[in-house]
Amino acid sequence: MDLVGLAFYFLAALIVISAAIVVFSKNIMYSAFSLMFTFFGVAGLYVLLNADFLAVTQIMVYIGGILVLIIFGVMLTTRITGVDVKSNSLGKIQVGIAGLLSTIIAISLIVVFSSTKWFLSEPKVSGDSTKLIGNELLTNYLLAFEAASVLLLIAIIGAAFIARRK
Amino acid sequence: MLGLDQFIAELNKSISMFLPETALVIAFLVALLLDLMFKKSKNLTGYTALIGFLVTGYFLFKQMNMQSTAFSNMFVIDQFGIFMKWVILLSSIGVVLISFFTNELYEKAKGVGEYFTLIIGMAFGMFLLVGSSNLIIIYLAIETMSLSSYVLAGYTKEVKRASEASLKYVIFGAVSSGIMIYGISILFGLTGSLNLFEINRFLAANPVNNFALFLSVIMILSGFGYKISAVPFHFWTPDVYEGAPVPITAYLSVASKAAGFAILLRFFKVTFLDSVPGNDSVWTLLGSIDWHFVIAILAVLSMTLGNLVALWQTNVKRILAYSSIAHAGYMLMAVSTMDDAGVASVLIYFFMYMVMNLGAFYVVALIANNIGSEEIDDYNGLGYRAPILGICMTLFLISLTGLPPTAGFIGKLYVFSAVVKAGYIWLAVVGVINSVISLFYYVKIFRNMYLNDVDSNKSKLTYSPASIVLLFVFAIPTLYLGIFFNDIVKWASYSANIFMGK
Amino acid sequence: MQESVPLNYYLILSAIFFVMGAVGVLTRRNAIIIFMSIEMMLNAVNLTFVSFSSYNSDPAGQMFVFFVMAVAAAEAAIGLAIVLALYRNQQTVYVDKVNLMKW
Repeated sequence: MDLVGLAFYFLAALIVISAAIVVFSKNIMYSAFSLMFTFFGVAGLYVLLNADFLAVTQIMVYIGGILVLIIFGVMLTTRITGVDVKSNSLGKIQVGIAGLLSTIIAISLIVVFSSTKWFLSEPKVSGDSTKLIGNELLTNYLLAFEAASVLLLIAIIGAAFIARRK
Repeated sequence: MLGLDQFIAELNKSISMFLPETALVIAFLVALLLDLMFKKSKNLTGYTALIGFLVTGYFLFKQMNMQSTAFSNMFVIDQFGIFMKWVILLSSIGVVLISFFTNELYEKAKGVGEYFTLIIGMAFGMFLLVGSSNLIIIYLAIETMSLSSYVLAGYTKEVKRASEASLKYVIFGAVSSGIMIYGISILFGLTGSLNLFEINRFLAANPVNNFALFLSVIMILSGFGYKISAVPFHFWTPDVYEGAPVPITAYLSVASKAAGFAILLRFFKVTFLDSVPGNDSVWTLLGSIDWHFVIAILAVLSMTLGNLVALWQTNVKRILAYSSIAHAGYMLMAVSTMDDAGVASVLIYFFMYMVMNLGAFYVVALIANNIGSEEIDDYNGLGYRAPILGICMTLFLISLTGLPPTAGFIGKLYVFSAVVKAGYIWLAVVGVINSVISLFYYVKIFRNMYLNDVDSNKSKLTYSPASIVLLFVFAIPTLYLGIFFNDIVKWASYSANIFMGK
Repeated sequence: MQESVPLNYYLILSAIFFVMGAVGVLTRRNAIIIFMSIEMMLNAVNLTFVSFSSYNSDPAGQMFVFFVMAVAAAEAAIGLAIVLALYRNQQTVYVDKVNLMKW
């Protein structure tokens, strides 16, 4: 098994184990930090898939932005000095139903993914991913770019208003 | 990639077709700046919003006969989109006017500057959604609408119900859009493109794995279904409608639903219609999945659950929330026929639904201004304490049930006739039974207003003359359109033609 | 470089990842952990898009991921602002303890 395959299995294991810790851990800070490992794992997979610009953007936006925001949220809403860093789950029955439902969905998704014939074409464009993305953003995807900027402005106004203390 | 000159020429042409949305963005920015500069003035952003909407209406009127694509096939302008944009614009103007007369906003929120700014932003998102033909733009537009409505639903921060409603809305909306983009990713993998026209061409020429296609479209439908409050994606609706301020509830129930239905119709027609020339009035579906049946099931679930659960509610806003789920069900019946008559009937129904639903919520707002409550037991004897409000509310309730001679009756008439013409008699029967069930809870409000507490000596309600003028702006069309409905019907039939690409 | 790991492996990994995020949303009661699970779901979708995009050398998938990242950041900002507002109002972030509005 060559190096790429080895890297894939290592990153896949990292992602799945960290995701399990995020979902099932009773301590919020452990969940937040394993979320960071999850994001790193996904960034590593992007590098394996030839999407270098997205890998770096993933680290900057998700880890440097969203994760830091989540940790702020945890710190502002939990009594760290008291007991309450732990969080509980639902009763056994609800967990059981959710587990059954998700197993069914996971199995059907895996069956679909293993047996479908996906769309495969000859490589359309080749070259540096950053230059390609930059070109596309300002020519073909111009409307999406401008719409995204309006969306971000709305998010800033909204979040600033809601989070203001008085 | 295009040559530079050709690209710039195409860009100029695209911008000239994007004028209404550009007007909305400029209004948004102007409102934001004015709110920062003039903090003292109370309603300045509201007036800016009104002026912005009027300018947008002017540009929309100038676009009345266009039909083309813009921005490298990402945006589409056709008569269907323009009709829906008019519905959204008129309801935006209506909601801004209703907000001027809602005391709850001015007392319990810290100033309304951002409120009107976010309404303009939400209107922009809706306009973008109605005209989109690429899955990226659909996603961005849905998220723009959703983000601004999360904030607007929780605008009166100090009211506990509002922040709870806002949190439930965010969680549910984020999960639904996550499922939707997973479906989009599977569709991308199957067909290799994000553009609806190209997906159509691919599906017409190549066979794909039907189960994968079915799964991906069901997941995409969960995103659209969440926007139109169809069962089983409706769980956020009652709580958010109850907790949000009344004008925002009215806006969500009319305009947000209109944008959601527009993209639902456009997605199904453009992606799945077999583009056989000359056969446009009956859509033949690609692939071997019977989408008629799937949407008909959603319609039946929405109608039935909406009407049955509304029977035992005690909060008037919650009753109207479940009734709007039921109305989405009636419209889904028309969507399931998937032909031009069905599309035209959805357009007619939306126009009628807009006037009657905005009117009903406006009466709830005026009553809440005075007695501060939205519980149905506090409506006792209101028919005598506020006669004008009582009469108008009765008119809106008759229209919501669908009795003649109101606008609601015309809407239901066209929907049922489109369903019967397409051959789904069983669906029409379910619809009629549900309309009869809905009579019971609408009558409950009427009964409390007029037949309970007849002799009480409580004080009469006070309201300003301007607010009554606005009330007649909603009440008169409800009656007028029930009698003189030909113009709307002709306009809707003309607009039922959804652009299919070149 | 892609021939050694088939496309299906990436897709199955992202499916497992997505379902784990969904389990987190369904079973946890703390609003912030629900937001973390939502971010995981969005990451799974991003992974699917990038794998399709790289096996076809079509930049459209990477463009979508770019926009999904922007929207995810905006949504996280608004979501956490709302959680903060709720915490100031009711001193709790557990979604089953906020239940003023019943069925």
